[in-house]
Amino acid sequence: MRQLLRAVIFGILGYLIGAALTWLIRGGSMGDEVCVVFGYILGLIGWLFGIGMGDTWVREWFGLPARKYEVTGWKRYLGFSTDHKVIGVQYLATFIVVLLLGGVAAMIIRFELAQAGEGILNADRYNQVMSMHGILMVAVAVAAILGSFGNYLVPIMIGADDMAFPRLNAVTFWLIPPVAIGLLAAPTLGSFDAGWTAYPPLSVVNNGGQILFVLAVTTFGLSSILGGLNVITTIVTMRAPGMTWGRLPIFVWGAFSASLISLLTTQFFAASLILIAMDRVAGTVFFNGGAGGDPLLYQHLFWFYSHPAVYVMVLPGFGAVLETITHMSRKPLFAYKAVVVSFLSIAGLSVIVWAHHMFTSGMAEYLHGPFMFASEMISVPTGMVFLSAVATLWRGKLWMKTPLFFAMIWIFQFLMGGVTGIFLADVVTDVSLHDSYFVVAHFHYTIMGGMLFAFLTGIFFWFPKITGRMINDRLGIIFALWLTIAFQLTFLPQFWLGTNGMNRRIADYPEQLEGANLMSSISAFILGSSFILFVYILLSGAIRGPKAGGNPWNASTLEWQVSSPPPEHNFSGQPTVVGHPYGYGTAGSRHAEFADVTVAAAPPEQPGTDQGGDHE
Amino acid sequence: MDQQRRNDWILFGSFWAVFSVVGFYLVLGIDLLPAQWAHEAEVVDDAYILLMGLSIPIFAGVAAALLTSLIRFRVKVEGQPTEDGPPVHNNRNFVRLWIASTLMLALMITVNPGFIGIAELRGEPSADIVVEVQAQRWSWKVNYENGAETFNQLYLPADRRVRFDITSLDLVHSFWIPGFRVKIDAVPGRVTHLYVTPEGVGSFEDDFNLRVQCAEICGLGHAQMAMPVTVLEPADFDAWVSDLAEGA
Repeated sequence: MRQLLRAVIFGILGYLIGAALTWLIRGGSMGDEVCVVFGYILGLIGWLFGIGMGDTWVREWFGLPARKYEVTGWKRYLGFSTDHKVIGVQYLATFIVVLLLGGVAAMIIRFELAQAGEGILNADRYNQVMSMHGILMVAVAVAAILGSFGNYLVPIMIGADDMAFPRLNAVTFWLIPPVAIGLLAAPTLGSFDAGWTAYPPLSVVNNGGQILFVLAVTTFGLSSILGGLNVITTIVTMRAPGMTWGRLPIFVWGAFSASLISLLTTQFFAASLILIAMDRVAGTVFFNGGAGGDPLLYQHLFWFYSHPAVYVMVLPGFGAVLETITHMSRKPLFAYKAVVVSFLSIAGLSVIVWAHHMFTSGMAEYLHGPFMFASEMISVPTGMVFLSAVATLWRGKLWMKTPLFFAMIWIFQFLMGGVTGIFLADVVTDVSLHDSYFVVAHFHYTIMGGMLFAFLTGIFFWFPKITGRMINDRLGIIFALWLTIAFQLTFLPQFWLGTNGMNRRIADYPEQLEGANLMSSISAFILGSSFILFVYILLSGAIRGPKAGGNPWNASTLEWQVSSPPPEHNFSGQPTVVGHPYGYGTAGSRHAEFADVTVAAAPPEQPGTDQGGDHE
Repeated sequence: MDQQRRNDWILFGSFWAVFSVVGFYLVLGIDLLPAQWAHEAEVVDDAYILLMGLSIPIFAGVAAALLTSLIRFRVKVEGQPTEDGPPVHNNRNFVRLWIASTLMLALMITVNPGFIGIAELRGEPSADIVVEVQAQRWSWKVNYENGAETFNQLYLPADRRVRFDITSLDLVHSFWIPGFRVKIDAVPGRVTHLYVTPEGVGSFEDDFNLRVQCAEICGLGHAQMAMPVTVLEPADFDAWVSDLAEGA
């Protein structure tokens, strides 16, 4: 708590010093964008110093011992903790809140669009709410699974006691609050209205809130890069003895391939945003077509990251869903090696498809063919993931609890997204559908369907591990069906709207399109309200759900062989991995042995395989 | 193959067939696409319908497998699960077949409607008339060949190949005519081109998709940045354009 308070004070002081110094040097007003930029940079440094970098790194640079705070209980979650499980929960809670905020923005958008004409929002406000919804949800999609389950589970699954760089991990998380504050403070400078894509020249000439968008999202990119670096290093160097690459649980592979993309491509997004900041405050003309710059340059840089980012969102999702399917259907993951190759191929292909977002941008026409070809090729490794999911279910012993329900619905949702993606990868149909509501429907199926449903799968699958308690399964299934049906009724009409002449990012539309919009809006409210049930399920489960024990699903991977929640440093003795993670159906198959006691991978006859019993 | 497993596949096959038939009926039987007002619209819609036709059996197959699994492989678990599924780790031939078919399919659609469609859509880079379009927040200015100029109104001749030379004075806008199914961005500092052959005589009053709509977000007036399109008989168009040029 003291750290947090100190961080807030240092952050504010940093901001004031930065802004005031800039103002003293150049004159003008303290609210000018230049002052905001330097204020933000010093504020960010002050915040990081105050939250814990000052106590650790900075003291050590001067030969002093790092200062430690003994905090226990819930207060750990409000401070600079280096425990990967605390950080995982910090991510989880933060991004559920951001998800709900973005959801409120979505409800406002659908309220406005329920009828043609101007409703509760004027066009300006609409663009601002839409842009806020976009960037909040993109942030959730990029960081929610990788940040929460990546941190919480990857070290346990590979038999390590923490991440490779625990302090860096803490910094990675504590970079997120300035992002949220920056975005939510944008209305004080007139908000931003250029969508989450922030195409110039609009993003160079619009209100001052755009500069906060640029600063916040660049900070978020820094967090992604550091997080990716940490996950990769952890997986490469911290695997338990015997944990060969061929024995890694599939979720670890998902996190690994997504982190590769984060580490190697996020810089391009940051660079493009910094160029926008320069165009805004330093008088450069990178994107000014009239002065020798080129607006298309931004689009190339932006999509060079932002298309791969889609796979940062869904690859950990693939991992979470396949993990759930193999454990809950009690069958080995079908074609494990082919799936791993597919994950890595997706990561590789993801960086050569970006210009399929630009078929109508006016870029050179000879580029259309190659980018269309590369984009269509992504359907091959993705198809392999579908085969693995469905073939693992086939003839399994399906235990239809909430997580498996969500995993199976995920297959359906992401397939919808994948199939409609073909229409957008194909130049001929894209020329018609680009920037229409068809695109809106498509990416809600891929990102909401593909990432959010995987996130929910993961939440319900690992909830007992993280909280030590079970949720009300009947309510979980009601939530799954409620959400899924409302989802179809919300987004199916939007495909029709797109082919019938409704473009995206508009506050108003021709009145002939009113019927489908009204249907979409009403369904969206039903969809939105399902999240009240979601929050209730989580809270009631966490507070008074029945005790889960160490291994409620009787699953084989390492995280289930320790107590729920796992003890500090995860394992009492060093686990040694001796076999495949998914040895279901093979008598005597074992994944790991512990120093003191041997644990069978998944002996169906012995329910009580947990090591430490129930922990409060 | 024992009876049990045969029944699994029979159920799967039946679901697949039913879903496919229902899918084909819904997608191809019901008119989901708006009226076509240009030759290009036919090319685009044909590609759309071909892709739909290919998607439906794939989609139906996965949906059928999910439903079959839910019905046939569900088990009741008391406390903790007591039995495992068969230890099938892989089926190399099936995986090879799957990869070969997805690859074939991806290549197929890359060729048609991909490359073939692109060639058809673009056609020859020649045009009967050239129309210049200038976008500016939040309106359109149109210049015809002989000096005629309209503001937020677009007139075109039917059955003649039109080349649009499009640019923008301020931001990136996008020139989209839903009834023609084509769009191209208007980019400051560049001229972009679009070829269209309108078919049939009509106007915005007949079909609201006969309009130019800005499709790239450009601030306050983005939603309203639209202009009605009127397609005239070629002779009427010529008369209209020379009247306008004389008046100018």
